[in-house]
Amino acid sequence: MAEFAMELIHTKKRIGQKEIIKGLSFQIKKGEVFGFIGPNGAGKTTTIRMMVGLMNITSGDILIQGNSIKTKFKEAIKEVGAIVENPEMYPFMTGWQNLMHYARMSSDVTKERVHEVVALVGLEKAINQKVGRYSLGMRQRLGIAQALLSYPSILILDEPTNGLDPAGIREIRQYIRRIAEEEQVSVIISSHLLSEIEMMCDRIGIIKNGELITIESVRAAVGESEKEKELLMMQVEAAPIDKAINLLQAKHSIKAVREEKMLVFQTEKENVPSIIKTLVEQDIAIYQAGVAKKSLEDKFFDLIGENTIG
Amino acid sequence: MGKFFKLIYNEEIKLYIRKSTWIMYIVLAGLIIGIAALTNTFDQGKNYTSDNWRTELQKENKALQKDTEDYIKETNPDEDDFYVNMNQEEMDRNNYYLEHDIQPQNYGAWQFTSDNAGLLSVVSLLTIIVAAGTVANEFRWGTIKLLLIRPISRSVILLSKYVSVLLFALITLVFVLALSLISGGMFFGFEDSLQTVVTSHGELQQTSLVTETLSSYGYQIVNLIMMTTFAFMISVLFRNSALAIGIAIFLMLSGNSIVGFFQDRAWAKYILFANTDLQQYTTGSPLMEGMTMQFSITVLIVYYIIFIALSWIMFTKRDVAGF
Repeated sequence: MAEFAMELIHTKKRIGQKEIIKGLSFQIKKGEVFGFIGPNGAGKTTTIRMMVGLMNITSGDILIQGNSIKTKFKEAIKEVGAIVENPEMYPFMTGWQNLMHYARMSSDVTKERVHEVVALVGLEKAINQKVGRYSLGMRQRLGIAQALLSYPSILILDEPTNGLDPAGIREIRQYIRRIAEEEQVSVIISSHLLSEIEMMCDRIGIIKNGELITIESVRAAVGESEKEKELLMMQVEAAPIDKAINLLQAKHSIKAVREEKMLVFQTEKENVPSIIKTLVEQDIAIYQAGVAKKSLEDKFFDLIGENTIG
Repeated sequence: MGKFFKLIYNEEIKLYIRKSTWIMYIVLAGLIIGIAALTNTFDQGKNYTSDNWRTELQKENKALQKDTEDYIKETNPDEDDFYVNMNQEEMDRNNYYLEHDIQPQNYGAWQFTSDNAGLLSVVSLLTIIVAAGTVANEFRWGTIKLLLIRPISRSVILLSKYVSVLLFALITLVFVLALSLISGGMFFGFEDSLQTVVTSHGELQQTSLVTETLSSYGYQIVNLIMMTTFAFMISVLFRNSALAIGIAIFLMLSGNSIVGFFQDRAWAKYILFANTDLQQYTTGSPLMEGMTMQFSITVLIVYYIIFIALSWIMFTKRDVAGF
């Protein structure tokens, strides 16, 4: 078995003269929910289209459970269930007929399985209506049901919250987490709005202009050891502040910035006591110290700056 | 069920579940029944019985002879006049019956079905519409993305779509045949014997009506397959069904004019439409000099391979993006 559910290796996409994806490399761990964030036009959908083989990869490769989507398409795609952009279905068929249509395209999907996924996304009541009459939220659920049909180990959801009202978004959030746990799948979920998916992700990758900017852990990962390595954003009100900044740099090699009266820096949790001790020992007055309530959203904007298209 | 069979089944479901497909069949049924009713009203129908058919035929021939003479006197036509030829052919046929002592058949269901071979151009039209939509619609609906992320290669998906289109043509063809026989049987009754006389290689010959009907349908199928494959290719290339329908139907209707327009060029015989009518070789008058059945079949195969290869390359290699 491969080490990662999915691995991108220097994946590039060039269309005409323009390089749209400039060498993406990252891994999706087994069983994690991975958020794929970037402004519109950053290359999220293009990357996802390459992951599922809808677009050719110009150079580099994408491995799904160890199989290249380029050279071992069938073996690789078997592991994947996906919605790419909008969950489009045949509007003249019922939800059930749509699911059966896709079920017939995989070898191991029985009628019982179709019932199972319908129940999983809570679409039992509407399943015999024509999809043309579905609301966007219902189509989104049907799309997820379709993606889950053939027991995928990776679920790819492109902008699943797009066009949904807040209630619909909350609903999706809830059952994507549930599905990830119940079905034991890795989930890749893209969005241009971080706040919408932040809560359901384990890690978040941020992409801008076809380049991966950073990958951040959101929730504590499963292992205890990793929990302690989690970085905290510390805010300390101290005086004299310039001396404090120098001290942090000298003794702990931490680059702190000044925000008005506050000292702001990032560090691991286990270092916090010794940092404060250093400051106190050097006669720096500490008025307050705490973990910044800075959300990932702010960080996201810090990282990508203004939404640039081009 | 085999995997490929399931794909075909999927395609046929998507086709026959839509009302527009049923409207096609309703129109087709209306046409057939309408033609039968009209023929029944306007054609008084000759009534040959075992006693009178010889005198009937002789009467007919006299009338035709007189008709032709009057026509020649009035209009002074060319040597190769269509009307004169038609009358002459009719007389020849009657004489053949008399000489060989065969009783001609009254108009019946098989004759009606045979006459309806022209309806195959309507079947071609409908099949073109279906062929033009089968790939383009998946793009229009956006469902192509879900179709191509299954553990099935794009080539197999394309093949299943192509075969499904041909299957639609076959079903529609059988529908036309069956409904023609049924409505023909209801309006005119069935023939007592299935012997008929046809022109083959410039000579009159006796043959079975069933063979004759099936072969005239068969020759039209060549055109149907070529135009359908063409529409299929356009639909794959441009991912637009309206464009594919437009181009294919325009070419189908203007094919003969195109050939006529370029007739004196040396390369005219390589035009697709000069070769789609293989019946020209059995009746014995090829469109252009130097054309043979073998030549036409070769040209058709070359076009066919080009259509299929272009469709296949474009479908399997191109990115699916931006919808």
